[in-house]
This record gives sequence, structure tokens and C-alpha cells, in this order.
Amino acid sequence: MMENDIRKVRNIGISAHVDAGKTTLTERILYYARRIRTIHDIKGKDGLGPTMDFMELEKERGITITSAATYFKWQDHEINIIDTPGHVDFTIEVERSLRVLDGGVLVLCSVGGVQSQSITVDQQMDRYRVPCIAFINKCDRSGANPFRVIEQLKEKLGHNAVAMQITIGLEADFMGVIDLVAMKAVYFDGDNGEHVRVEDIPVDLLPEATQRREELIDVASMFSDELTEAALEGEVPEKLLISVIRKATLTRELIPVLLGSAYKNKGVQPLLDAVISFLPSPSDVENQAYTMDNDETPVTLSCDPQKPLVALAFKLEDGPYGQLTYIRIYQGTLARGDTIVNARTRKKVRVGRVVRMHADQMEDVEAIPAGHIGALFGVDCASGDTFVSPGTSLTMTSIHVPDPVISLAIIPKDNKARVNISKALARFTKEDPTFKAQIVEETGDTIISGMGELHLEVYLERIRREYNADITTGMPRVAYRETITRRAEFNYIHRKQTGGAGQFGRVAGYIEPIRGEDFVFETRVVGGAIPSRFIPACEKGFKKCLKKGTLLGFPVTGIKVVITDGQSHSVDSSELAFQTAARGAFLEAYSKAGPVILEPIMKVVVETPPEFQGTVMASLNQRRGIIVGTQDEGHICVVEARVPLAEMFGYSTILRSATQGKAQFTMEFTMYREAPRGVVDELIKKAMEERKRVA
Amino acid sequence: MFKKELIFRNPLRIIGGESEDILPEGGFGAVVARAGVGKTPLLVQIALDSLLRTKNVLHISLDDPVKKICLWYDEVLRNIAHQYNVMQMDQLWEAILPHRFIMSFRVEAFSVPKLEERLTELTDQDIFLPQIIVIDGLPFDEAVKKPLSDLKVIAKDRSMRVWFTIRTHRHEKIGPHGMTGTLLHVADLFDVVIQLHPVKKDVHIKVLKGGLLASDQPPLVLDTSTMLIKDIVRL
Repeated sequence: MMENDIRKVRNIGISAHVDAGKTTLTERILYYARRIRTIHDIKGKDGLGPTMDFMELEKERGITITSAATYFKWQDHEINIIDTPGHVDFTIEVERSLRVLDGGVLVLCSVGGVQSQSITVDQQMDRYRVPCIAFINKCDRSGANPFRVIEQLKEKLGHNAVAMQITIGLEADFMGVIDLVAMKAVYFDGDNGEHVRVEDIPVDLLPEATQRREELIDVASMFSDELTEAALEGEVPEKLLISVIRKATLTRELIPVLLGSAYKNKGVQPLLDAVISFLPSPSDVENQAYTMDNDETPVTLSCDPQKPLVALAFKLEDGPYGQLTYIRIYQGTLARGDTIVNARTRKKVRVGRVVRMHADQMEDVEAIPAGHIGALFGVDCASGDTFVSPGTSLTMTSIHVPDPVISLAIIPKDNKARVNISKALARFTKEDPTFKAQIVEETGDTIISGMGELHLEVYLERIRREYNADITTGMPRVAYRETITRRAEFNYIHRKQTGGAGQFGRVAGYIEPIRGEDFVFETRVVGGAIPSRFIPACEKGFKKCLKKGTLLGFPVTGIKVVITDGQSHSVDSSELAFQTAARGAFLEAYSKAGPVILEPIMKVVVETPPEFQGTVMASLNQRRGIIVGTQDEGHICVVEARVPLAEMFGYSTILRSATQGKAQFTMEFTMYREAPRGVVDELIKKAMEERKRVA
Repeated sequence: MFKKELIFRNPLRIIGGESEDILPEGGFGAVVARAGVGKTPLLVQIALDSLLRTKNVLHISLDDPVKKICLWYDEVLRNIAHQYNVMQMDQLWEAILPHRFIMSFRVEAFSVPKLEERLTELTDQDIFLPQIIVIDGLPFDEAVKKPLSDLKVIAKDRSMRVWFTIRTHRHEKIGPHGMTGTLLHVADLFDVVIQLHPVKKDVHIKVLKGGLLASDQPPLVLDTSTMLIKDIVRL
């Protein structure tokens, strides 16, 4: 049975830097919640790997790629949890999770602290205004310093982070935590820390605990006069303190920080208590959908199971029983046998099996009410589709999907591989909107594109393993674009008279650069110089030209077309004639409008020991990078730069060898910028070679 | 074109002359004020003025992370662009970004030898050659004389100009010419000292030392909504 009281439901995501230990933490959570009977560790001796990392490839690499949704009960609450990947290259997975979740647990390593990836993940949480709590993991490790990490949460991420606990012992002596709200010591006994023992605070830790509690009350008092008064009177009721912290957490004004070591089975149960105490239930979060008319008016959804259905398909997976669609219900109830409508395609769908997921296992249920996450079988849809009750015309906001920045050609070794590749690509492109595949007409090559080298590498591995396809790959290619730099006018007549019906159309106007948009079309034609029925054909004609710029054949972006005049013929004008005229007009104006090549620029953040700072800066500088800044943090230095993607291929190997493997970096797309002359010349040379090869 | 326009119309010119730097090579300048009055935004305006003149600016912060400093620049430049109706913000950014380098240190970890080491790394490898350094958040306590003197030598050797923010306190003594107490023991090292002081709802900019501000010039005023110097009628 699903929990009926929505206040007792939590939808949470666990986000962190890679290797901060989130998969181990999830495994422990499921163990203590009795969803699994044994614990497996990442790359453990048993070779099984944790329950949430269910893909073979993930097990081998020790990383989490696919979000696996699962649920469990804790106390009398029901928690839906999604394990999210840590690499920047897979952030669409993280972003999707955050879109559908109500609260987050930010896992940090007590040795590594707030690293560059934590900053990216935090920015994503901020974009979706997800309230979160932090868990500082690995307090048993040598060099652990949880309060340094709390300072970093404040300084680097600007969070009002406050410790809810202090540790009993640290590093190898880490034994448990002191709860600063209840002022009790908490120990974790048994082979797997399953027995929580609550004791009085050891005398030697009492002064520190008292001081930290005062700090906690000071911070919380900022959000409640009642708490301030209680603190002045010297008696702070536990319930009041918790409710004030909850209130501030829900508005993202406060981040409660919990401590522990998932690997050593310490501190996990209090973290779960904190999830219930401080993170929002679905009814605490306001979600909006949009009307499907032109205005796209926002409509606030009500977390009411009786209202018409509004649900979002946020993840697809192709399993052994067909397509599995992960779905979040925002309003209404989704029940087996219901007829629902895909808001994008307007197609009616009959709901077959409804399940709740537990990693790669599932449990059949009758219905999923508002506020819950579940999955459907046998529903044909794309990731990001909205499902509604018949008669409801609403859509959830589309999930922000960035354009791919890198591509490479894949070549099948034989016919069997060709067939399997096409199956694999059909599945992957449906599951992951940032991963795209296309066949180039001229060469017949299959090109895949995505968000980074690692992103593509993982899919190539999956094609080889899961689809048994023998493939080779070409060199990665950068997704260049073309744009114009100045206004240019056109006045083009398309006239053809070769027997039969003729073709006639004249379009006049100008093109000019526009920022922040791919294409804007405007008509200022008056007096019917171009009949209104041919205007869409003009737009279509211009739009078609954007697919391939004439400079080097890259897609054209940032262009505004304004038609001011034209001419038609009562017999010879047609849609085709005006489309062709628009094409001619575009070609006429484009070369006069100062076309240039744009290249993708990446934000690169390198964390390095200070002794390699100069080496790292030089390596970025050599790659045409502009260094934005360096941040000295004592044991580590962070270098941030903007570097063209074209220069970043193979950088991980170079960085490793230049810093004895001690530095690491993250990279994400930031903007397109005009490519310098040398780069353009090189591209022209390559394009000519390519043309020769094709010929 | 708009860059030149912005340079010309910058009210800072009133302090430093129409085209020259306010400071001489190797010179020190200070922006002095109590906490929260607007030292950092004024420092960023000074830095932006140099950036617009394609001078390389090294911004050193001992308070804030790189991200926050970038936000200051975004904010101040956006306000400037708004004030002067500059439409090509992106182009402006792209033009000035290669000339800016930010370094953030924890205050206790900052030292002049460390800075010199970093400067050598930057210049030897031809990564960045700073012409102006702005230092935000350096504590001006009794021990600051020695590092400032050392920095002066470096600034002269490398032909750099250095600006500092200096935080003053409500009850400190005032020296000759209104010179603030915090600065008295090192005032000889400074060529220009600009003080920000709140007057009712405004913040007035007073030149305590150096500069070319004419005596009959009305006071420069910081607009508290944009933290920019208000554009006034030129004399």
C-alpha cells in the first residue's frame, strides 16, 4: 500500500562529487530500511557491487551512471530515493532527478571537502530550488575534518550551513556522533551498525557539544522570535528547535549538516531521521504546470490524489520486459487500467502495469497517488513527456536540455553490428535527451553526439557490451556553429519558366545578428506584396538554410531575418517558389553579413595541490584557455578557466602525467565564442580534405 | 567605440585626469571606508576602468571566493552598461575578460613572498602580465608596514600600480588632512587615498591624498542603488 498521508512522503535525491561515497551511503540506507538483506561494497571482494549501481559497466568502473529509483520506509514515513551520477558529463541525469524531487542530500567527503563537482551539483540544486541537507561522509578517514568542510559550505557555496552533530572521535577513532538537538551521544553497534545505542554525552566532549549547540541555536534563532525568547530564557524545547530548522531548510536559508561514515556504518540512521525532520513532503513544495495554449500560463498544481492527473515521465529505460518509464505524479492518481493522454503527442494511452522500483527489481502496485514516484510498463513516450487525464490541457515545464558539444563517427565492422548499433542508438537517444545520433547523408557515417568525451565513451562501451556490436570510432569532433556579425540586405527574385506552370517569387529585407536566440523571423511586408499564405513558406525556406551554413557547412545560429518587401505572381507564385526565393535571398545576404565560425567554450575547473598550480595554469594556457582565477585553499588550489573544447581532448591523461595523478578536473559547456583565424584555417583545410575523400 | 565612450565618461577620470592612470608606476592607492559602505564595488570600478583601457588587472581577494568576485564584476559592469545604454554587453565582456585574473587567498595564508612566487609563475610562463593589482581585504594592522614596503619594491620593479581596500573603524583617531588612523603609520607609502563616508543616505567620495580633484569640484557621490559613482557635470 502507498502512504495515504502525503505529509509522510519524502522524494529525495542524493547528489555528490564522484567518490564522496553516495552509492555506499544509499546501500546502507536500504540495508537499515530492510530493503536489502546484505551489504555489498563498491568494487568489493564479493564482486556483487551495491544494489543501486545495477549496470555492469557501473560496477566495473565504480561509478554510478543511471539513476535508479527506489523506495523504502523509515519510521512511519515512505521515502522515494534516486541515486544520481557524480560526473559532470552525466549531469542531465542529476538535473532530471532534481526536477522531480522535493529535497536533496548533498554528500561530501570529510577529507576532500567541497570539490568542483560539489559546486556544480549545488548549482543544479539551486536552479530547481531544492532544499537540502548535507552529510559529511568518511569521518573515519585519515585527514577527516568535518568542520573545515562546513566552513567550505559557507565560503565556497555561500550556504548557511550548521552542524547538527559533532563526532565522537575522528579518523580511526571515529565511534559515533553527538546529537546537538537532543544532546545525546549516539553509537552504532552490531556487525553492520544496525543497533543504535543512545547514551549520555561523554564528559570530555560536553563543553564542545554545549558550545556547538549554542552556535546551532544562534543560527536557528535568526528564523524565529519564539526560539530567540526560549534561548534567552535558557530552555529550548527540542520540538521547537526542529520545527524552526525545518522551516529555514525548506526555504533554502539553512542547511543542516549531519556527520558519519557510511562505510563504517555510522551516522546513517540519524541522517534518515533528519530527512524526515527537515526535508519537505510533496505538499510542502509548490509545483507548476503550464497551459497548452499560446500564453503558456502557469498553473499551480495541487498535491491532491482526487484531482485530474498531471504526471511527468522523467526517465526511460529499456529493460527485459520492454520500456520502463519512471514517472512522478504531481496531481491526481495514476491507476492500472486508466486512460491517460500524452500532452505532447495528444495520444491516448492505456495504463498497463504500474510498479514501484527498487533498483533493478520491481513491485506491482494498483495506483500511484500525487506526490509519489513510480514506473509504468509498455507506454510509448519520450523522456520529459507530460501525462494528463483526458480533458486536461497542461504540460510540465520541459526539462532544460543543453545542446551536445562533441560528436564522433562510429563505424560498424559488419552487418550484424550495423543492425545492433541502430537498435542501441534508438534506445539511448530516447532515454537520454543529451545524447543524439544521426546519419550523414553524404558519407553514410553514423555520428553520435553528447556532452563530453566520457559521456560518449560510456555509450560506446554500452553498444559494445549490451548490444554485442563490434565497432570502431573516428576522432571526436567539436560541434562548431556559424553566425553572422553584421546586417546585410537581400532582394532576390526567383523566376523559372521552362514550360508548364512557372515559378515566381521575390523577397526583400535584411538579416542581422541576434544574441541568445537561434533564429528569429519577422515580417514587415505591407499591402500584400507577399500574400500572407506564402509567408510561412518564406520562413521555412530561411529555416532550412540554417541547417548548413555556407562558410563550412556548420549549423547557423543567432540570426534574425526581417522581410520588408516582395512580389508575387497570380499564377506562377507558389509555396515552393517562395521557399526557393528565401533560400536564394539567404545565400545572397549571408556572405555579405560577415559570417564567422563559433566554437564551444568549456568552463574547466582543476583542483590541484599548490605545488602544481603553475604547471596546471601553463597547461590551460597552452590550450588557448583564459584563466578566470585561482583559489588558494591551503592543501589544495582551484584553477578555473575557459577553454575551447577542441583543445581539451585527452586532457585528463595530460593532467594526470603533469601532476603525478594528484590533480583532477571537471568540465562543462559554458558558451559559444568566435573561433580565431588559425582554427578556422585549419577547419577549412580539413573540410577540403574531407570533400576530396568523399569525391 | 563604446569602450572609448565608457572610458571618457567614467567619473573616475575626475580624480585621475582624462587619460592617465590615477597612480604612477609603482604607486599605491587606497579606498578607505567602514565595513559595508562600498569599498569593493569602488575597487571593481577602478579595475574595470583599467580593463576597458586594455590594462591587465590582477584582482586579489582575501575575503571572497573567485565566484563571488566574478559576481561583483558582473554586477558593476551591468550597472555601468545600463547607465550608459551599452547594448553589446557580451562583446564588452569578451574584450575585457582576457585582461582580468582573479586570485583568492585565505587571509592567514596570504604573504608577499607567496604573491611574488605566483607573479613569477604567471609572468615566466607568459600566462598573465599584471599592470594593475587590486587587493581587497588585507588587514591593515601594526604588522602591515613590512609586507607593504616589500610589495612597493616589487610594484616598482615590475612597473605595476597597486590599489588596496582598507577597512576603518568608527572610533579610530583621525590624523592630519583627515587621514584615517588605520593608515597613519603607512601613509607615506600611498600616493592616493580615497575615503568613502556616508552622509545621510548618500556615500561621499573624498580624496584624502593625491589625485587631481579640483578644490571647487563638487563632491563625488556613490549611488547607493548601483554602487557606481554618480555622473556629475564636468568642470
